[in-house]
Amino acid sequence: MEMKEYYLQKIENLKRAKALQTKEKIRKEGLLDEDDYGRIAVPDKGWEIIPNHSDGSFYGIQGWTDNFCDLMDNHPTYIDGNDAFAGRWIYFMSKMRPNKWNPSYPFTHLIANQEKYDIIHGIGDDAHFAPDFELGLQLGWGGLLKKIETSAAINQGEEQEVFYQAHKRAIVSIQGWIKRHIDELALMIQKEEDPLSRENLLKMRETNRAILHHPPKTLRQACQWIIWFHLASRTYNRDGAGGQIDTLLQPYFENDIKNGIIDKEEAIYYLSCFLINDPIYWQLGGPDGNGGDVSSEISFLILEAADKINTSLNITVRVHDHMNQELFDRSLDYLIKHKNAWPRFSGDKGLISGFMKNGYSEELARKRIAVGCNWMSLPGLEYTMNDLVKVNMAKVFEVAFEEIMATSEVKSTAELWGKFTAHLAKAVTTAADGIKHHLKYQKYNEPELILNLLSYGPLEKGRDVSDGGAMYYNLSIDGAGIAIVADSFAAIEQRIEEEKRLSWEDLQSHLNSNFEDENGERIRTLLQNSERYGQGDTKGDKWASLIAEHFSALVKNESDAEQNHCFIPGLFSWANTVGLGKKVKATPNGRKGGEPINHGANPTPGFVVDGGSLALASAIAKVQPGYGNTAPMQWELDPSLAKEEHAEIIGAIIKTHFELGGTLINVNIMDKEQVLAAHENPDLYPDLVVRITGFTAYFAMLSKEFRQLVVDRILEN
Amino acid sequence: MILEKGMITNLQRLSLHDGNGIRTVIFLKGCNMRCLWCHNPETFSQKVQIERIDQKCISCGACVEVCGSGALSMYNGKVHYNAKSCTQNGDCIPVCYSGAMHQVGEMHTSESLYKAIEKDVPFFKFSDGGVTFSGGEPLLQHQFLMEVIQYFKSKDLNIAVESNFNVSWNIISKFLPYVDHWLVDLKFINAEKHKKWTFTDNQKVLSNITLLDNQKVSYELRTPLIPTANNIKEELVAINDFVNQLSNCKQFKLNPYHKLGEQKYKNLGLEYNLAHINEMSHSEFQYWSSLIKK
Ligand code: SF4
Ligand code: SF4
Repeated sequence: MEMKEYYLQKIENLKRAKALQTKEKIRKEGLLDEDDYGRIAVPDKGWEIIPNHSDGSFYGIQGWTDNFCDLMDNHPTYIDGNDAFAGRWIYFMSKMRPNKWNPSYPFTHLIANQEKYDIIHGIGDDAHFAPDFELGLQLGWGGLLKKIETSAAINQGEEQEVFYQAHKRAIVSIQGWIKRHIDELALMIQKEEDPLSRENLLKMRETNRAILHHPPKTLRQACQWIIWFHLASRTYNRDGAGGQIDTLLQPYFENDIKNGIIDKEEAIYYLSCFLINDPIYWQLGGPDGNGGDVSSEISFLILEAADKINTSLNITVRVHDHMNQELFDRSLDYLIKHKNAWPRFSGDKGLISGFMKNGYSEELARKRIAVGCNWMSLPGLEYTMNDLVKVNMAKVFEVAFEEIMATSEVKSTAELWGKFTAHLAKAVTTAADGIKHHLKYQKYNEPELILNLLSYGPLEKGRDVSDGGAMYYNLSIDGAGIAIVADSFAAIEQRIEEEKRLSWEDLQSHLNSNFEDENGERIRTLLQNSERYGQGDTKGDKWASLIAEHFSALVKNESDAEQNHCFIPGLFSWANTVGLGKKVKATPNGRKGGEPINHGANPTPGFVVDGGSLALASAIAKVQPGYGNTAPMQWELDPSLAKEEHAEIIGAIIKTHFELGGTLINVNIMDKEQVLAAHENPDLYPDLVVRITGFTAYFAMLSKEFRQLVVDRILEN
Repeated sequence: MILEKGMITNLQRLSLHDGNGIRTVIFLKGCNMRCLWCHNPETFSQKVQIERIDQKCISCGACVEVCGSGALSMYNGKVHYNAKSCTQNGDCIPVCYSGAMHQVGEMHTSESLYKAIEKDVPFFKFSDGGVTFSGGEPLLQHQFLMEVIQYFKSKDLNIAVESNFNVSWNIISKFLPYVDHWLVDLKFINAEKHKKWTFTDNQKVLSNITLLDNQKVSYELRTPLIPTANNIKEELVAINDFVNQLSNCKQFKLNPYHKLGEQKYKNLGLEYNLAHINEMSHSEFQYWSSLIKK
């Protein structure tokens, strides 16, 4: 749609401002191997935390409330006359603590096994579940305050009083922050001479005044309300979960159009401003439960807005049998046009049937949408610890291999498998015990003051969402390193057991010397050329399926209906491939000690010579964990395929992966030459965005080591 | 039923240039032309061959040690392969650490072939894709191919055949009911040139194309545009005129010459005779393409 020059110019200015902000952030805060988050740099002499513990950190509901309210009271305002909305976030409050877990609740009993199996335990980590924005849009800040009052009257008690008081203070401090923007706008309006810009500032002020207490009524107000909530929530503890953005905004948009308040161009301008504010994870489209799709005109306008800003974006299009084909086609067009890693795609079939296997209804399963990096969540209904807990299966394998070499007379892959699964069971239990420990004490460590507000239960029950306040506890444990383990089993089976080209002892000594001994490089080459996971019907594929199945069963086994604990397996490493790899010595698949482990559920790079995309899509579909969490397909799509004339083929690969049971596809389309040049000289490519895993980042913001990882992934493809 | 067996060089998944949608190409071994520009020299001979993939080699010398015929030798730290001395006994394959010593050519039945491509079948559905038989000249193994195609048809697959059409019409016509789309090479109209560059006559090719055209089946023609061979105005005009008098050709296009096959000649120990010819620029290719527009 052709837009008025006026809006296009404003969007252009916003993009420019964003580029400068990113540059400034790198200059001030250094490189960061993480999401862009839309955050701007901390000002000089910025706010500092108020510790309430001798270790310099702050803990518990009082500590968090005091800190958050103080920060809100002192938070700088942010208004850009080009923007339709006020506000940006600056402080990573939860990261500013020197220590993230309250030492009064030690988990010493778990540490030995956490270290032995290199488990990322997630104890004390920030929120990784989704709020229900609809709740907030219905109630507004005033409505939420009223809800607190009503609930407090029902749930009386000392602890409850503190709980409700804290939430009330949090809301009032957020309102204070908004109010300061309203005041600031008044000054800006006075000074502004350009009538159009003045008009925009007036509207901005009117919007903010309208939603200071009351629920939003227009599209602009709804977007601004969501922005305030997520800016507060981001500041509080990094939460970046989104929701079903098209259905959330649809009524406001349709109403505005009907009442002649806005036209479509204005809507796209608002949506552009909304998206550039923060790369939140939003889902577009999805089944409506009546054989159709929830998408509507605004779904397309959101894509158009994304097209206009084309920065770091985390929009996921839900693919299902009755999806809106036009929306899918349009999303492919943009993927190919911009080659900027958006959108990504989630697979309804595997997600819904998998989640239902936990005993949930189809109706509930449909509500579990793509709102996080690798993860799905039921907005407002569950507490999950998504993407926080990882078991390094490559490390578990190392423990099993060392044990078989030290203790077993007869060595075989069967024997090794027995040891591996026994250790994996211990590792999974350790991870689950860590989660249970977290659930027990997190409220004394880091209560979810902000997300409690948009969850069903915490306010009603007077209990933190981590502490029984939520309706469901769908607790995630991810396995990492599946390809390393599968390929290691396959190499041993093929080269030692079948071909007898080396002995177990030979292998051990090569591993111990990191393949730097005599013949080491030859053997490494031989092992690397064994039948690998991802090639299709190979030994590696067989082992990968076995590992995935077994891991899932072990995680599921930790569930406890009485405690309302439903554990859900996933295969994902997030950006930890480097860190997890550093802990693992040389492995029998020919990987050298300390090298990164494989990415998520992806095979190791270079696993197949041609038709890589099909091989990848089939392989990852086969190792799906199967209970509604993901094993994402990280797809480095070759630029020669990423052309307009091949859009149908790309679409067919996406659809087939989901038809086969796949759950999530993250796509990168990167030109080799460009990536290499950007690696050399990141400053020259400030706009280059890569999808690292589930999240996207500016390439220039990544550390050298991390950039190297991205480069390797693309070159080896 | 007697199970026919056929010789395959390899399978290519997700081929973008051999028919509609997502396609898996099955290359049959053996060819009755010897086009000098051919980028699939491994399909010339119908027999199993030893191939040495130089890029994979780690120069460990293990193959040289077992080779009794002197076909492999090591100098300056690099392995050299002399196909003329090779007895093709394959002794070097199992000792190689990197998979660089490799056998090209594998016998298949229709069932084993289906098994090999089965994992691609789900991908065909959403893109109207399917299987393309290529070569070499796939129709040289027509009995085997017929059995495979009938078997694949029973699995509801879309079938395309890529042929040089230098085979008898009798054979081609038997395939007409089973093939959904034909891809035929039209290399030269000039008989002499055809002979010079492919070592075969083109009369049969041209008459088969005309006969195919009369059948009203789905087909397309492609001309490999080879510098110094057929990138000559009068030749292209002749080709274009020939195509224009056909009634049912769905598509006609030029394919630019590329040298991607050169390394394969080395790997097989064969000589590549077009080493001196350069690939043409995009703009030059555009120019020639503009000549064939109707
Ligand atoms: S196949 Fe050829 S190169 Fe290999 S060992 Fe036998 S004679 Fe030597
Ligand atoms: S055995 Fe293989 S890797 Fe070693 S020199 Fe021969 S071809 Fe190269």
